[in-house]
Amino acid sequence: MTDALAVRGLCMRFAATVALDHVDLTVRAGSVHALLGGNGSGKSTAVKILAGVFPADDGTIEVKGESWGAEHYTARKGRDAGLRFVHQDLGVFDQLSIAENFALDAGYPTAPGARIRWAALRRRVAGLLATYEIDADPDAPLGSLRPAERTMVAIARALQDQEGDELILVLDEPTASLAQHESAILLEAVRRRADRGQTVVLVSHRMPEVLAVANDFTVLRDGRNAGTLRAASPTEDELIALMTGKELGRTMVATAAAGPVDGAGTREVLRVSGLAGGPLRGVDLSVGAGEIVGVAGLVGSGRTTLLKTLFGQHVPVAGSATLDGAPHASRSAARAVAKGVAYVPEDRGGEAAFADLTVRDNLSASVFGRYFKGWGMAYGRERQDARRLIDEHAVRVAGTEATFASMSGGNQQKVILARWLRRSPRLLLLDEPTQGVDVMSRAEIYRTIRDTASGGCAVVVASSDFVELAALCDRVVVLKDGRIARQISGADLTADLLTAAVQSSGDSGNEVASGEEKGNSA
Amino acid sequence: MTILEPSSDSAPADVADAPATPAAPRPRPRGGKLLHLAERYALLLLLIVIVIFFSVYPDSAGTFPTTANVSVLLGNQAVIALLALAVIFPLVSGYFDFSLGAIAATSGVLSAGLMSRHGVSLTVAVVVSVLLGVLIGLVNGLLVTRLRMNSFVTTLGVATLLGGIIQWYTGGQTITNGVSTALIDFGSQQTLGLPRVVYVVIIAAAIAWFLLSHTPYGRSLYAIGSNPRSARLVGLGVERSVIIAFVIAGALSGVVGVLQLARAGSATADAGTNLLFPALAAAFLGATAVRPGFFNVMGTMIGVLFVAVSVSGLTLSGASAWASPVFNGAALLVAVGLSTYLGRRRGNTTS
Repeated sequence: MTDALAVRGLCMRFAATVALDHVDLTVRAGSVHALLGGNGSGKSTAVKILAGVFPADDGTIEVKGESWGAEHYTARKGRDAGLRFVHQDLGVFDQLSIAENFALDAGYPTAPGARIRWAALRRRVAGLLATYEIDADPDAPLGSLRPAERTMVAIARALQDQEGDELILVLDEPTASLAQHESAILLEAVRRRADRGQTVVLVSHRMPEVLAVANDFTVLRDGRNAGTLRAASPTEDELIALMTGKELGRTMVATAAAGPVDGAGTREVLRVSGLAGGPLRGVDLSVGAGEIVGVAGLVGSGRTTLLKTLFGQHVPVAGSATLDGAPHASRSAARAVAKGVAYVPEDRGGEAAFADLTVRDNLSASVFGRYFKGWGMAYGRERQDARRLIDEHAVRVAGTEATFASMSGGNQQKVILARWLRRSPRLLLLDEPTQGVDVMSRAEIYRTIRDTASGGCAVVVASSDFVELAALCDRVVVLKDGRIARQISGADLTADLLTAAVQSSGDSGNEVASGEEKGNSA
Repeated sequence: MTILEPSSDSAPADVADAPATPAAPRPRPRGGKLLHLAERYALLLLLIVIVIFFSVYPDSAGTFPTTANVSVLLGNQAVIALLALAVIFPLVSGYFDFSLGAIAATSGVLSAGLMSRHGVSLTVAVVVSVLLGVLIGLVNGLLVTRLRMNSFVTTLGVATLLGGIIQWYTGGQTITNGVSTALIDFGSQQTLGLPRVVYVVIIAAAIAWFLLSHTPYGRSLYAIGSNPRSARLVGLGVERSVIIAFVIAGALSGVVGVLQLARAGSATADAGTNLLFPALAAAFLGATAVRPGFFNVMGTMIGVLFVAVSVSGLTLSGASAWASPVFNGAALLVAVGLSTYLGRRRGNTTS
């Protein structure tokens, strides 16, 4: 077999961090190639470079025998050579018909006078739907399809101008927002396309799925190739060993060694009983002072909803919560903040950052009132405090007056944390605390969180990164079907066991798709 | 060693964070501080240059740099300056308010009408008119926050509605009789060489400056303008702050109406758009100065003077009547362009 796609020596730097360090990726024509790696391994960066989102610093990219220096590669060149992408966000229009979704990508067939030939479009789309085994009417709104079929439509749309098997399909986390049985349906369909000779690059972090579909594997770790397997059937453990590696393992051990303080969790800070609303169907949870409790679960399991409910962003339909023994039913963030609750959201740019304001403004946003002295704001003292916080949290930034957007993701996250920690919260809620954060900052953030807990704060961490949960938490609860399905602590608390506990559920039939969790914040 | 990739199981990466902006820590250019200073005071410098130019330019040298002209210029601009102050409150919090010109017009007509038709005393007329501004501001604020109506269209609707009510109330006639002479005197007299109305502007500007830069309220307003969702999630009272911004703007516009009546001595049946656009131009011009990229009081005042001095100089040099709207329009476009550019360069928008 010939190589459909060959990437060699790909390098990429973002300011001070190296995202990709001489990464190679060779995809054989007609194979399903899995690109694997944990958070921060560089796999998303690699996919973005292939998609032409930004050029790489160095390396070569060869598609179907056409080769470019990676710094000259563009989205257009890749497309012309035969690369097609389906991203996690499918880029489809739910309100429009299936036929129109196809036409918006490829253009409407027209008759003279720019009249749209609807009948011709319908015929063509019906043919494509048959080819891709999607049982649907071209006139039906896309939103009426089940999630796996929506993804299939996106795939069929990406490949609609394919005549033989000449295109290379890149699926970027296609199952991330699908429930287990939906992703099984999707992957089965992908498998059938591949059996007919379709070349597929599959980017995913769900091990069992990848194992079922892929022939070849490329594993990235910390921006380097950690291993390549061809025509192999590795075990899940072998792949996880490649993904986690030793280097990262050591960082984790170091932070975990900081350990919980003695007597942690003896005084109960948060108690949640029977909490229901959105995807939650009765959550019971107790978190003690000094304790770090992790919340694991698939996308849509309600991790974010649980945190947002505790922060007054969702009104629960049932259940109650107490904070230090007193009823806690905040209806707004302002009230939750006043009671000593702090919340670091997952979507940093959208829900935590004031991107165009200064680092000082961002640090002070939680305590504006403190600096008001009747005759004005005590700017001198505010600047002094900002400088102190920047030092304490090892934020690497030009100064207190630099804009928030000028910092890297890791430093931005440190600022958001510092903003809350300066209020000495009783309860700290963290959603994906190290998303888009580099390895060094990640270790520093873990240390900060552990120190905060040691100071008597109760910490709840929701994360999709099992390595992170295992390293950071004293105890992890697994959310499934809207309830706490399992609790893992002590020696059992490993990334592998967490993966197993979260994925195990062949039965999570009523899993909800991703949209719900983000949606309706008050 | 590294990252910069969003967690694989989450929603699409947020814009501010995506590595698509590898602009991360941008190295400051050499002499960045000087450049920064130049950027902050470029408009002020330009204003000074224009003043000097028209003072020596033969066609205007005889009339422009005279105390009479300065007095007329400042007196005429007081109304626009005060309205520009009103305009920036909603703008700072991220909302447009197109009804402020109409609120001013309504307030002017109402206070004139109260005095001339109902024989109400000056004080009561002024208080009622300003309260009307507060009320309309409150309605605007509630519509925009509680009902989440688009501020652009909502306030344009309110403006049109008020224009219609003015037509109905005045029957298209100018109200000239019965306006308190004390008010008209206030509008035309001077104290310490400056028109009295200018002092009203100075006091209002000082209060606005204090509110926006030196109170937690003002800081919150800038935070809300930067990212309302983040603002809500750090516990700032977003809705309340925005409503208050609209109320302050409405109240100030009410005062503008009274001031306009004082200057003109009569209230015409006019929807007030001729006041609003110069005020908006000044606010956007102001956002390129002093605190570039943000609406601010000092910048806005410089913006008002910049437009006023330029138009006055042009007129005195013999330019035709069309020079003023052309200059206003051009200044507004350039100002919006510049402030968008500055905002983008600061990294709050990608691509």
